[in-house]
Amino acid sequence: MTLLNIGLIGVLGLLGVGFYGLLTSRNLIKVIIALQILAKAAVLALLVAGNASGQIGLGQSVAITVIVADTIVAVIGMALAIQVRRQMHTLDVVELARLRG
Amino acid sequence: MATWLMWMTIGVPWLGALLVWRLGDERPNAQHHAAAVFSLLAGGTALALLPFVGETAVSRIPVGGVFGDFTLVADGLGVFLAIVATVVGSLAVIFSGAYMHGAAQLGRYYALVLLFIGAMAGLVLAGGFLLLFFFWEITALCSYALISFHNDDPKAVSGGVKALIMTQVGGVGLLGLALLAYGYLSSYEINTFLAQAHTLPAAVLSIAAFGALAAAAAKSAQVPFQTWLPDAMEAPSPVSALIHAATMVNAGVYLLARLYPAFAAVPGWKTAVLTVGLLSALLAAFMALTAHDLKRALAYSTVSQLGYMVYAVGVGGVFASQFHLLSHAVFKALLFLSAGAVIHAVGTRDMRQMGGLGAMMPFVRAVFLAGALALAGLPLANGFFSKELVLEEGLHHGPLWAYVGMLLGAGLTALYTLRMVAMVFYGETAVTRRVHDASPRMQLPLGVLTFGSLTTWLLAGPFTRLLAQTLPYHALKEMTTLEMAVEILTAPATALALLVIGLGLSAWLLRHRLHRWQRPLHPLAQAAVQSFGFERINQQLTVGTKGAAAVLSRTQTGQLNWNVAAIVGALLLVLVVLSWIVGWLVG
Repeated sequence: MTLLNIGLIGVLGLLGVGFYGLLTSRNLIKVIIALQILAKAAVLALLVAGNASGQIGLGQSVAITVIVADTIVAVIGMALAIQVRRQMHTLDVVELARLRG
Repeated sequence: MATWLMWMTIGVPWLGALLVWRLGDERPNAQHHAAAVFSLLAGGTALALLPFVGETAVSRIPVGGVFGDFTLVADGLGVFLAIVATVVGSLAVIFSGAYMHGAAQLGRYYALVLLFIGAMAGLVLAGGFLLLFFFWEITALCSYALISFHNDDPKAVSGGVKALIMTQVGGVGLLGLALLAYGYLSSYEINTFLAQAHTLPAAVLSIAAFGALAAAAAKSAQVPFQTWLPDAMEAPSPVSALIHAATMVNAGVYLLARLYPAFAAVPGWKTAVLTVGLLSALLAAFMALTAHDLKRALAYSTVSQLGYMVYAVGVGGVFASQFHLLSHAVFKALLFLSAGAVIHAVGTRDMRQMGGLGAMMPFVRAVFLAGALALAGLPLANGFFSKELVLEEGLHHGPLWAYVGMLLGAGLTALYTLRMVAMVFYGETAVTRRVHDASPRMQLPLGVLTFGSLTTWLLAGPFTRLLAQTLPYHALKEMTTLEMAVEILTAPATALALLVIGLGLSAWLLRHRLHRWQRPLHPLAQAAVQSFGFERINQQLTVGTKGAAAVLSRTQTGQLNWNVAAIVGALLLVLVVLSWIVGWLVG
């Protein structure tokens, strides 16, 4: 079991958890958490790829950039969720999809 | 020096496009003059390239990575077509000064025309496939935008969209060719491709060859893509003359001629090319015979004449095809511009509502007759020499059945040309309004083009020398004008062709006596009016696409979970297909 294999299994596991969350959850907060897990899979993939190709510095710096960008996504997502809850009195994405216009 | 001139041939009209557009529509006269000056400058720079012609006159800009280098090459073929594009372009722009007088949004019109002129010069000067593809698509975009110039007319808009979609479908073939060339030779250079094409696997080379044929057929409106060109006639007449007769539609023929040395050995390719040319030449000639719209009749005749050029490439007559291209560019631009003068004066495009215009517009009749002489292939006009050269190549190097077909096409050409002339300029007039002859501003470009229609065949000698000395892979032979003229005038094939052309002409003159022959031809005429079913196929495709879209739109539920499932599913599908393709290529 090399480091590369362990890393790839981790990436696939995080991807699976994230997609499972996106597919099954109806709560907006849970959807945002699932998206965050997916983003963490991407960060891990960057580190693994950097390690495998011998460019650890490059991998780490891109990973940090992703973390920063992703934090903003999380914050804005949460803020939107709060506004949705205040305005529409629900966090159920199926309910929200029914509201047109 | 050559480097600068090459980039200027592209850059000057593009600069002009920006400037004319910025001038604003409240100063139409300034716009007319600026556009004319910039197009003439472009023509001047293209002509100034002539002394520098050579395969070594190369300008290379490294773009890096998978984009390779962007190169411009000033060889004989490229410079010749750049001159055609810019010179005919400036004549069309001068003509527009009178034709588009008082039209709204002139800035948009001139900007697009100048953008087109620059892109066309770039297309023929480009030395690499990727840059060629880039300019290829810019010309398609300009063509679309100018066909739909009157964008409040639904016919103009649908004609433009049709032209865009059909040329785009063919463009995929060119992109495939570019990527294959890069994939196997790690270079987009056309000359590298021509030198090393034989090292490619046979299957890959034949995919590339037929991709190029598809791209050329779509661009040059050949069977089965020919239906977009007649619908493109909604464009203003100078645009039809420039883009849809003299320059852009030649790009396909240019591509085939340029790549001929690489693909000549591909099994079935030459036969496919000459069959496409033959079918286009014959079917379009029949359609021209039944058309009532003056510009549509001319458009069908363009398809038919482009068929002659494609056929010439198919039988190996690269020079004959380019020589006919030169003749056709000049005389068809002349015919379209004089048709524009007629339409401008009469206010309709329907030939049944014309007639007897010769007495009212003597100048236009004279120049139209010169163009018609060349189109029909009668002696002393440039079309005579180039068409005879094409037919002679076909007789000596091509199959006999195709030659007979092309000979029949020459007769039909004479027949529909005479019909057009008679319906517009002779007989009883159906015109009620006062008709004026062409204004001096229209007469200048018409006069220049008439002179060209009668004399460009004298350039045959220098033209062969230009091509033979700068195209190392084509193995062309040099010939003087006198040799060519003697060869054509003494060849028995010429007498035969003239006989068929004479038969075509007399068929129109004796049409009342040939009455009983018309009945068996009636179904053929019906089929020609319905464009031999090609229009129906287009409609079915449109209806099918819309139906599929209506069905597929039900899958757009707007539900998050469903969308995520679709994304993951599609990702898995792509991965499976890719691994399958890779497995197939490796295994």
